[in-house]
Amino acid sequence: MQNQPDIVEILRRVETGEYCTTKEWDVKRVPGAVRKMLKKYDLAKTYDAENPVNWDESLADTFYEAGFELALELGYFCEDTQRIVKVSEEELRNSLKFAPAELFVGEGKDGTLLKARTPADPYPMACASSLGITYSEDIYPILAEGIAREREVDLLEAGSLTTIFGNEVLSGTPWETLMGYEHGRMHREARRRAGRPGMGAIGCISAVTEYGQFGAYGTPGAFLPSDLALILFPSELKIDYRTLHKVVHTLNMGGIMKCDSPGMIGGMAGPPEGACLTSIACALLSFAILQNHCGGGEIYDVRYLSNVNREGLWALSVTGMALSRNTHTLVHQIANEVSGPGTDKLLYEIAAGVGAIAACGSSLTTGPRTAGGKLNDYMSPLECRFTAEISHAASGVEPKKMNDIVKELLPLYEDTLKDPDVGKSFQEVYDLKTLTPVAEWGEVYRRVKREVIEMGIPLDGF
Amino acid sequence: MEHEELIKKLSEAVAEGEEEEAAEYAEQAVAAEIAPMVLVKQAIQPAMDIVGKRFEDGDAYLPELILAGDAARAALDMIIPQISGEEEAAEQGTVVIGTLFGDNHDIGKNIVSAILAAHGFKVVDLGINVPPKEYVAAAEKENADIIAASTLITTSLPYQRQIAQLLKDMGKRDKYYFIVGGGPVTPEWAQEIGADGYGRDANDAAAVCRKLLEGDEKPPLQKAVVEGALKR
Repeated sequence: MQNQPDIVEILRRVETGEYCTTKEWDVKRVPGAVRKMLKKYDLAKTYDAENPVNWDESLADTFYEAGFELALELGYFCEDTQRIVKVSEEELRNSLKFAPAELFVGEGKDGTLLKARTPADPYPMACASSLGITYSEDIYPILAEGIAREREVDLLEAGSLTTIFGNEVLSGTPWETLMGYEHGRMHREARRRAGRPGMGAIGCISAVTEYGQFGAYGTPGAFLPSDLALILFPSELKIDYRTLHKVVHTLNMGGIMKCDSPGMIGGMAGPPEGACLTSIACALLSFAILQNHCGGGEIYDVRYLSNVNREGLWALSVTGMALSRNTHTLVHQIANEVSGPGTDKLLYEIAAGVGAIAACGSSLTTGPRTAGGKLNDYMSPLECRFTAEISHAASGVEPKKMNDIVKELLPLYEDTLKDPDVGKSFQEVYDLKTLTPVAEWGEVYRRVKREVIEMGIPLDGF
Repeated sequence: MEHEELIKKLSEAVAEGEEEEAAEYAEQAVAAEIAPMVLVKQAIQPAMDIVGKRFEDGDAYLPELILAGDAARAALDMIIPQISGEEEAAEQGTVVIGTLFGDNHDIGKNIVSAILAAHGFKVVDLGINVPPKEYVAAAEKENADIIAASTLITTSLPYQRQIAQLLKDMGKRDKYYFIVGGGPVTPEWAQEIGADGYGRDANDAAAVCRKLLEGDEKPPLQKAVVEGALKR
């Protein structure tokens, strides 16, 4: 039996795999292979605008088969070496066979057990908050602690820093190494101050290159090997030395990792159906090529800079269902919201996106991405609480029922997706001394929560 | 082949992203003495408009945009040398574009490149992870009109400021328009670092480039041209 290739073998393949230029990969190999699979499996034009959450399990299973074949045909492309890294069918199957079905993140009573789920599985999808919205250096400790104090939130990712000791941080310079450490240190401190010292974490979101990760992960006082190392690719099915540095570093530290990258609607994969295939293939290969522990299944629509539009939600639901029904991997999906703190539209977007993800079988979500992640300090703990509440409560909901709920939610926000209201900053919607929302924001939250309960997501009452 | 048919074939080749065919039809059209500006206005630009519309409508995606841009470039390479000085410029201008140092994300930048090409700009794509000095070196080499720097990464944002500063320090700030875009980039940031333009998405970027080159103001602009401002 061929086991999954170890990291030494992968590094060899990164240097010796088939040569290919970036351009050929982008405009010929990926689109060509995606088109071929869509045709072979009769999946083109299966996107259904009237049913934004797919509940057809056989359709999801066919997408899985096609995505599996796509993974074997394409492999990953390494931009630094211009080589294609492939695995055999046996290697891929064994990698999936031995991939973790459970993973404990964090320590002791504060930690979280991630479990492989299936659609409508009552085991709650875990929620990590927030996504990498930038926080000002002086706001970071307050906001990170505020999120950690939200007990519904399972794992702390928190935002990213752009300055350290008042200095602008430049990617790929020693500033980033320093910032990685400071980020990790402040992150640990936020969890401790919130009374959850063993709370699991994902880090380090500020680390764009390997330098920040070297400073942050496994360093004394910063992220622990029991936290998830965050490893993102340049784009789906593409890796680089940066990605591999982070993988090797995590393995060196005896750590656990979350590797993924979204299938891009409108990108190289083309339509929603194509993005489902590249997302599935990218997820499967991460276990064979990168020794991944958790992750894969993300979708992003480059035309909307979001994924809570109809096409994005549909693709998320298909991909999540395909992976959760056909593997025991820990699927990770993100809802990319675009509205900002203080707005009801943000909460509707969260309910639709996170609800669809939870219902379709993902094990973990990270979010929210308030105001599209575009503005400094545009994030507050309240929407993190709401994201986690939806994540847990929507977990037992049948995808068909979630489709009905999302059909009610979409008209409440979809007309402004391309021109969203970015809302207000943390400082405007929160009392920073008490770490509580201002009355107006609290009232919006309660109103939307009541509406969502009426729609059928069984959130706890007040 | 009749002139009309040649123009039609050229247009179809560009719209379908057939680079070799586009170059061949352009060569035949030039040999048949069809006026270069007729080819640009009746074949290439309409084809790129069609592809741009298809992209907006979700009927075409990034690969189609890139291939059509390549085909248009191949055709223009045949046509441009035939254009005399009195004729209107065939191209909108030259844009040097890249993703900033420290950032390996290329999708957004690729879409902007393709859309700019679709709008008739000559695009010099420097790729990803590009240090500030390479933007300026490329702009000098290509005799560019616009330098465009994109990033999705907040810690690469300061490199945009460095480009503006480098241009100033080299005494070349009045030679190039400098525009910025990408996930964490805002109109306020563009104004703060002294950029000449900001676009929220690819179509906005094309509109900014067009406005800058069609306007009367020379770089650096006191107030950045903004397309796609955020609603607050």
